[in-house]
Amino acid sequence: MRFTLLVGGSGGQGGMSMGMTLAESAVKGGKHASFMPLYGPEQRGGAAKCTVIISDEPIISPLPLKTDGLIAMNEASYKKYIKELRPGGLLVRNSSRSTSAIKRDDIRVLEIPADDIAVELGSSKIAGIVLIGAMLGFSNMMDPKMLMDSLEEKFESKGDAIVDLNRRALYKGVELGTKAAAG
Amino acid sequence: MAKLFMKGNEAVGEAAVRGGIRFFAGYPITPQSELPEYLSWRLPEVCGTFIQAESEVAAINMVYGAAATGARAMTGSSSPGISLKSEGISYLSAAELPAVIINVQRGGPGLGSIQPAQQDYLQATKAPGHGGFRMMVFAPNSIQEAVDLVYEAPEYADRDRSPVLVLMDGCLGTMMDEVELPPFKELPETICKPWTVGYDGTTRSGHLITPIYPEAGLEGKNKLAVARTKRWEENDVQVEEFMLDDAEWVIVAYGIASRVAKQAILNLRNKGVKVGMIRPITLFPFPKKSIAELDYSQVKGLIDIEMSIPALMREDIELQVLGRAPVYEYGRSGGVLLDDDSTEAAIWKIIEEASSNG
Repeated sequence: MRFTLLVGGSGGQGGMSMGMTLAESAVKGGKHASFMPLYGPEQRGGAAKCTVIISDEPIISPLPLKTDGLIAMNEASYKKYIKELRPGGLLVRNSSRSTSAIKRDDIRVLEIPADDIAVELGSSKIAGIVLIGAMLGFSNMMDPKMLMDSLEEKFESKGDAIVDLNRRALYKGVELGTKAAAG
Repeated sequence: MAKLFMKGNEAVGEAAVRGGIRFFAGYPITPQSELPEYLSWRLPEVCGTFIQAESEVAAINMVYGAAATGARAMTGSSSPGISLKSEGISYLSAAELPAVIINVQRGGPGLGSIQPAQQDYLQATKAPGHGGFRMMVFAPNSIQEAVDLVYEAPEYADRDRSPVLVLMDGCLGTMMDEVELPPFKELPETICKPWTVGYDGTTRSGHLITPIYPEAGLEGKNKLAVARTKRWEENDVQVEEFMLDDAEWVIVAYGIASRVAKQAILNLRNKGVKVGMIRPITLFPFPKKSIAELDYSQVKGLIDIEMSIPALMREDIELQVLGRAPVYEYGRSGGVLLDDDSTEAAIWKIIEEASSNG
């Protein structure tokens, strides 16, 4: 099993740290992973993307042309990176921030109003976790528990409420992703 | 040992600390800035010194000063910053001072782009400053190899009393990968060496460290440098040879390009194409033999693949091939990255065109 994922968003939206946590949790879970960020000079705003590869085999090249999955966190990154998704690939799009018509018919699409779900769950900051949970449910790229273990470790010092918030966000996404994959 | 998941620049910083580097002076530049950032807190933890200098020129001269006292000293930068340091690197070489220099390459020339590239090959291997001096140049293709080479780099620098360059690129610097860290090296009780300035614990040393010599003395130093270069070529070449036994097509690639090339080779092998790779790990000394001694009754062509347009290693390859086979090149440049599929397609196209012409 090998899955390549592109996460695209604007700088400061959390896409990078999300991709990093995902890859790190895969390594902790005994898989091979690489994380390759690409961003402009801006600390906030501007386009930022990262490529995460998770694989059962050691990773030879970290630079695929097309990826198996794309998480588009906003409209700009959807438009910019949709061409990098391979035919048959999975798109998880933040429909709270990206609503333009999807013109490709050779991909599978899951629209998640991640910002709205995040606010409902209690914090706008966790929209990214919802999206990544959705991709995990949609794709089977990795057991969500591996990511949850890492999130728990990462947010342990911030208290149970924050860990729980992340858990609810992740598994809400997983639920929506699994449902979409089945349907 | 447990595998860690680390960013290239930070892993290199840790490898330097474990390899004995205790002085770093630098100036931030993308895509290398995590290296000084990491060392800014890590070096003080091991009683080392970190200085964010006011400029690249200041940083390299601080390294010169620290190295003169015997401290294991390092600096890092990215392409345009290395150009700024080049005068200082030339002075380090002239004064026979050991130092480790990291270049995390980005697009060029000029200010270039902040994205990864491999456009500093000629600067690194031919003219890292004025005066015709050479350095050993290591080119890792993974974070693990970067760690291993940076860990050993101070030994080469000390052995030869010469600056050593580790040539990375923005991909290796900013990406994260699994890595095993080596143990801490045991360091001598004093940083003083027989040739260093300062007080060595027993006697006050009168050594003068200088990049200035009278003409005859300078010519003598130049000759010694030639002899040293020859020793490097005899003893210190590092190269990876991949699937060469039956190869009709030989890719030559270093650093991140070799990772992309290797994936392309595996894909092409599945399609029955007999392709292999020579990967220089030391760019200087260049692995001349590996290329010169290929079986040219079998090899139909060599393809230089680099994240650089033009491919800068090509002349070094051609000097070993000596017309016995055609040499081709493929690359992306200026911060546009190579990728697996396009590289595979490019190799395929080169082979196909050569076959239909031949």
